[in-house]
Amino acid sequence: MIPGAFDYHAPASLEEALSLLSANVDDAKVLAGGQSLLPLMKLRLAKPEVIIDIGGLAELNYIREDGDHIAIGALATYTDLAESELILDRCPLLAQAAVVVGDVQVRNRGTVGGGLAHADPAEDLPAAVLALDAEIKAAGPDGERWIPASEFFITMLTTSLMPEELLTEIRVPARDGYKSSYQKASRQAAGFAIVGVATCLKESADGTCEDIAIGVTGVGDVAYRAEQVEAALRGRKLDDSAIAGAAALVTGGVDPIEDVNATPTYRAHLARVYVERTIQAARAE
Amino acid sequence: MAKADPNQYVGLAARSKEGPRLVTGKGRYTDDFTEPGMLQAVFLRSPHAHARILGVDAQAALSRPDVFAVVTPEDIKRDTKPFRPGRYAAGLKKPIAEYAGAVDKVRYVGEPVGAVAARDRSTAEDVLESIAVDYEILPANTDVHKAMAGEDASLIYDELGANLAWQGTLEYGDTEKAFREADRVVREDLKIHRYSSTPLEPLACIASYDRFSRKLTVRTNTQVPENIYDALRDALRIDDIRVIIPDIGGGFGQKIHLIRKYVVIVALLAIKSGRPVKWIEDRNEHMMAAGHACEQHFDVEAAVKNDGTVDGLRFKEIDDVGGSISTLTIHFTNKLNNLSNTYKVQNIRADGYSVVTNRCPVIPNRGIGKPGMCYIWERIIDRVAQDLDMDPSEVRFKNLVQPEQMPYTTPNGNIYDSGDYPGLLKRALEKVDYPALKEEQAREREKGRYLGVGVVIGVEPGGRNAARDMAIFPEMKETPGSGGINGATIKLEKNGTIALYLGSPNCGQAHETTTAQVAAGILGVSPDVISTTTPFDSDVAPWGVAAANSGNNFHLYDIGSIIGAATQLREKVLKVAGHILDAEPADLEIADGVVTVPGFPRRKLTFAELGKAAYNNQSLLPEGIDAGLQTTFYYTFPHAQPNMVPGQDRRVRAQFTFGAGAHVAIVEVDPRTGKVEVLRYLIVGDNGTIINPGVVDGQIYGSAAHGIAVALGEGFVYDDEGQLLTITLTDYGKCSTAETPNVEVEHAPSPSKFTPLGQKAAGEGAAIPSPAAIASAVENALEPFGVKIRHLPLTPERVWQLIQEAQA
Ligand SMILES: Cc1cc2nc3c(=O)[nH]c(=O)nc-3n(C[C@H](O)[C@H](O)[C@H](O)COP(=O)(O)OP(=O)(O)OC[C@H]3O[C@@H](n4cnc5c(N)ncnc54)[C@H](O)[C@@H]3O)c2cc1C
Repeated sequence: MIPGAFDYHAPASLEEALSLLSANVDDAKVLAGGQSLLPLMKLRLAKPEVIIDIGGLAELNYIREDGDHIAIGALATYTDLAESELILDRCPLLAQAAVVVGDVQVRNRGTVGGGLAHADPAEDLPAAVLALDAEIKAAGPDGERWIPASEFFITMLTTSLMPEELLTEIRVPARDGYKSSYQKASRQAAGFAIVGVATCLKESADGTCEDIAIGVTGVGDVAYRAEQVEAALRGRKLDDSAIAGAAALVTGGVDPIEDVNATPTYRAHLARVYVERTIQAARAE
Repeated sequence: MAKADPNQYVGLAARSKEGPRLVTGKGRYTDDFTEPGMLQAVFLRSPHAHARILGVDAQAALSRPDVFAVVTPEDIKRDTKPFRPGRYAAGLKKPIAEYAGAVDKVRYVGEPVGAVAARDRSTAEDVLESIAVDYEILPANTDVHKAMAGEDASLIYDELGANLAWQGTLEYGDTEKAFREADRVVREDLKIHRYSSTPLEPLACIASYDRFSRKLTVRTNTQVPENIYDALRDALRIDDIRVIIPDIGGGFGQKIHLIRKYVVIVALLAIKSGRPVKWIEDRNEHMMAAGHACEQHFDVEAAVKNDGTVDGLRFKEIDDVGGSISTLTIHFTNKLNNLSNTYKVQNIRADGYSVVTNRCPVIPNRGIGKPGMCYIWERIIDRVAQDLDMDPSEVRFKNLVQPEQMPYTTPNGNIYDSGDYPGLLKRALEKVDYPALKEEQAREREKGRYLGVGVVIGVEPGGRNAARDMAIFPEMKETPGSGGINGATIKLEKNGTIALYLGSPNCGQAHETTTAQVAAGILGVSPDVISTTTPFDSDVAPWGVAAANSGNNFHLYDIGSIIGAATQLREKVLKVAGHILDAEPADLEIADGVVTVPGFPRRKLTFAELGKAAYNNQSLLPEGIDAGLQTTFYYTFPHAQPNMVPGQDRRVRAQFTFGAGAHVAIVEVDPRTGKVEVLRYLIVGDNGTIINPGVVDGQIYGSAAHGIAVALGEGFVYDDEGQLLTITLTDYGKCSTAETPNVEVEHAPSPSKFTPLGQKAAGEGAAIPSPAAIASAVENALEPFGVKIRHLPLTPERVWQLIQEAQA
């Protein structure tokens, strides 16, 4: 449980970090909060020869309003998200997901950038980011580009970031009139999501669903949008039977994973229950 | 000044002596020690569940300058001897040699195959990757039922000819008659899974060898110094051994058996390298290879009369004991300890089968065997109640041993010292207002809320008697150590303070606090001036066979020896003081560390003055008395007869004191997800006279929390190939504080008739009945679905499946 030897760099600027990364692209790993990378190194499942520690880059640590978006720097921690007035006010779903990540220590160290770049299929934040139609900013040697959340997560532990790119920011459209809920099933309070569902919706006064977005994590090998459920509910009255009927579609086209925590059948069942419960909880908000 | 009362501090919630040190991170655990020139060791472990070792090439590792020693299977064979077959392997037809490491085969994932000692840990881990082991993979055996059917995938021990390694029967009374004459027979198949206590501190050891004096010193966190002592002598043929045991970060049975393998190999690395060597086990290693509680399958039958009287109990037990024969029968033999639980049933038969599998070897865990035995009783009693349409508590009341029967001898020869089982059960039902609870349950069910109530009862045995095993292995010729012996030393120092040396190690159960309270009353001092010496050091500690932080030994042997040593020291203090004060010792009084002659306020001596006299001033000592004020007392339990060694009738005292507890679990089950929430957990307990209620409650909270977590899903899971899928605490599914209920405890002590203070055990306690309580409560909650709880654990998925199956 002690990592092998590695070279350590703590760049003073994003620019320096990017050039270090380009220079060592085959052997380097970026270190942010270390909550995923360090365990992997201790288990010797990851053996980077070079560590580029971006943890000290203040320029990547912010949460601010940016026009009609909320902009979050890659180094904002889960605790920052959970406690930010701006987030709680404008896109509370992010805070709802962040506050149930791991335990206090993990939330204090773990970063938005690290969590998303790591793309563990049992992480919480991806579900919320998908449901909010967030965009992810990647910075590389050739400049910056924006990646929609829907195109970011490719498969287990794989994103559309290039090896020489850093995730520097995510931005979330600040939308009014939406209500949201994030709920997860986990083995214990500080545990990863066996199933996590992030729902945000807008309904009219008579209970008709004007818009709904559902992000699902823990179920497939990558977090996804439950588009079939959304389509079945948009424009419909949100009564119990409509919700239950639509929720049954949550694993349409998805192969639920099997691990020691749950069989695929149970995962699919839980996903359905959590879709129902998050819709009900969001409506009750 | 008040006259000293020997029980002055008994029952006092005295402030913890060790607590502040331990909770502020100032404990001193094995890993906190370093020695000059010390190396770090790591183990090479089998990635396969079952394989033959064809060859090991460690040349690359050995040629590195920063590697100081390597141990391979060849070294093990050449430089060590196998352990002597232990008492739990006594039933084998042919003795099987077991070395500290794998020599020809590996039998479970994680089995140690070799080890490396290098300058630092990171290097040692690097080097492991360069050692090449050539394995011939063999089919894995993970299913005990296949072994029972004679369908072994492969032989784990060729010598045995089958993986069903042992079978034996215990019978007391006439079960055939009981079943013949029964109105009905109630049966059930039950199962308890593999789990452990996952102590925060994994196994640890530092070994150093002085080649000039040929003395081997090991600092390790074993619970049982004797096992280390014997193992080192057997394996390395070294007699001069010193075992030092510093603070231990939790034992629970994890640090009794398999730890000896590692200590032997680390010692061998120290001998080979000529340097001290440290080894600290990783969490993953601990989960894979430090030992699991046994997976136990039970086929249970009860012979029942229509009024609810149970006349007989028969069960067949199949134990998955993993890939070692050294603990082959450990979970079965321990059934003798609470074979009757709290019931007066006279006819009991148990058929035990031990199957070796390609999984981690089994070891004790908090209450070993006894949670299984209690589960058998409490599940079948619930089943009897359902069969007869009676309230489960009614069936219990009908069959409980009554207070006026105490001391009560069970069919297998255990003698229950004292207890009021109906009283405990009654009080527990009152505390939760059982009738009101049932009404609430009915009301909530209508609203779609599923509440359940489980009410169970269990005994908590204490003390040890290894001669018990002769009841199971009548062919055994020598007793494997009968009864128990352990000592304590107390010294009044020159400055008047008192130093106490315990004969056993401490795993965090506050022995320093409790023993000081006992000694302080007898000696007439405040517990504050008493300090207990840690670490345990086999060179100086007065230790005997009961010097084991296991088996609920402490209350009997350690407390007994403290009382003995303190009483002798008091007598000596009075003799010396009487001589100096020119008074009869019998006329003197001691309080607050001052000896006085009543009625003569000026004639007094402080303990400091006495200390000076006893160590520094020969002319002040009475004639014919040894100088110094130090006493050592070895305690044996004076009431260990009858039935200490079994005769033809195989009746034997498996343990010597018997506490008990009635548990009530109130749960809510979410039928859509299968998730169980424990809303309330109450224990009415008899731990005899309580010395420190804070300490005893701590033991109860911890053991209840563990038993509840075991029932609700913590446990080890293997795939069919024998790969362990739960190598982290997250996957293992331990309950966190958020899922653990507040445990309410009410004490209803029946002091033991056999112990000096009336004290009984408290260490294993609530871990014994709590799995049964949860099972009972969950079943009760899901009554409307017709769900029966047979197998643990009750993970949400499992509960959900049971509901699906019941509805299908
Ligand atoms: C005990 C424990 C419990 C946990 N429980 C949960 C849970 O319940 N839910 C949950 O969602 N997660 C959980 N986690 C995981 C954890 O929250 C995240 O994986 C972690 O916080 C990732 O962020 P980090 O800053 O720590 O990333 P690091 O560990 O530093 O890095 C993770 C990966 O991302 C890369 N990376 C980091 N930052 C960037 C960047 N800006 N650009 C590009 N690549 C980058 C790294 O190179 C590395 O590959 C838990 C972790 C632990 C240790």
